[in-house]
Amino acid sequence: MRHTMRSSAKVFKLFIVVLTFCISESAMANETASDIKVPFGIRHYDIGAAQNFTLNDIDGEAFELNKSKGHWIFLHFWASWCGPCKEEMPMIQKLSDVMKDEKFQVVMINTAEDEDTIFEFLSAIDIKLNSLMDVDGLVTEAWKPRGLPTTFLINPEGEVKYQAIGGREWDKLLYTDFLKQLIHKAN
Amino acid sequence: MINFALILLASAQIVQPVAVKTAELEMKFMARTPDQMVSFYEARGFPKAMLDVLKQQCFITVGIQNNSDDKIWLDLSTWTFSSAGKPIKREHRDYWKKRWQEMNIPLSKQSTFRWTLIPETLDYLPGEHEGGNIVLPFTKEPISVTATFATGENKQGEKISITIDKLFCAENPQ
Repeated sequence: MRHTMRSSAKVFKLFIVVLTFCISESAMANETASDIKVPFGIRHYDIGAAQNFTLNDIDGEAFELNKSKGHWIFLHFWASWCGPCKEEMPMIQKLSDVMKDEKFQVVMINTAEDEDTIFEFLSAIDIKLNSLMDVDGLVTEAWKPRGLPTTFLINPEGEVKYQAIGGREWDKLLYTDFLKQLIHKAN
Repeated sequence: MINFALILLASAQIVQPVAVKTAELEMKFMARTPDQMVSFYEARGFPKAMLDVLKQQCFITVGIQNNSDDKIWLDLSTWTFSSAGKPIKREHRDYWKKRWQEMNIPLSKQSTFRWTLIPETLDYLPGEHEGGNIVLPFTKEPISVTATFATGENKQGEKISITIDKLFCAENPQ
């Protein structure tokens, strides 16, 4: 009888442990990207599927957005004549360095400038990141950024989820933590 | 209720930025000389035909910062410009698009020009700062600008109206 009671107690304990584990796993799974606190300067921008484009970078390599699913994309529009773009760029470089082991990619699009201008600009401020060239400005027009600079965050399924308002201090914990949470939480 | 800020500027010629601050927003106006604008656009490879048109205009760079906790709505079509008692027509970005197309200006230069203009409409989020140029026909007379903004998520909040008198187009130094 005592043996039966001990066995029952053990089974009950095991049941509680398993139950606790299941509840905690379920809670994690239910903690979606929409539960993540959005830092100042970033807003939800749920406009659905990201508009595809294909552009060349300054090395002549073609990039097609739709072929880059499976990780978060930091899509950044900029121009060399835009003062805030120049201020923000080193922080984007640092962000890219910090996030290099994450499922995350910085994709920069220069608006309507030529290769020499882009190259000189990036070299002058010691930016290693490559940039796509929207030579005619048509991709930028289609994406309708609020102004320059503008950043969109696209989830691994290829949906636009967030928009950053103006230049942000991307290398600060406020933003890197936010981006890491996005990457590690269910969508 | 209209929150009305009337700014009367006594100076005869505005060469310094004109700043206006209310509880909800800040605005800054900076008139640019034709030489400044031509230098800027020339450095971006704008063709001479485009520069010849641009140097005849009156460029005013406007910066707007939303300092409120609510949305503030920019709609340039509600702004009024006048000089010497007569309205001044601000050309819409569509006008410029058409004009550049007629002149066969390369798309890249058309695009850059458009990005230097202030948006026609924009919902300024709390803390947001955006700006750009407004292009007016050149005049030596003082210009009066009344800028009106709707507020609130659905534009149902108090309207903000800011008037600036005696804003001047900047001229090249003699």
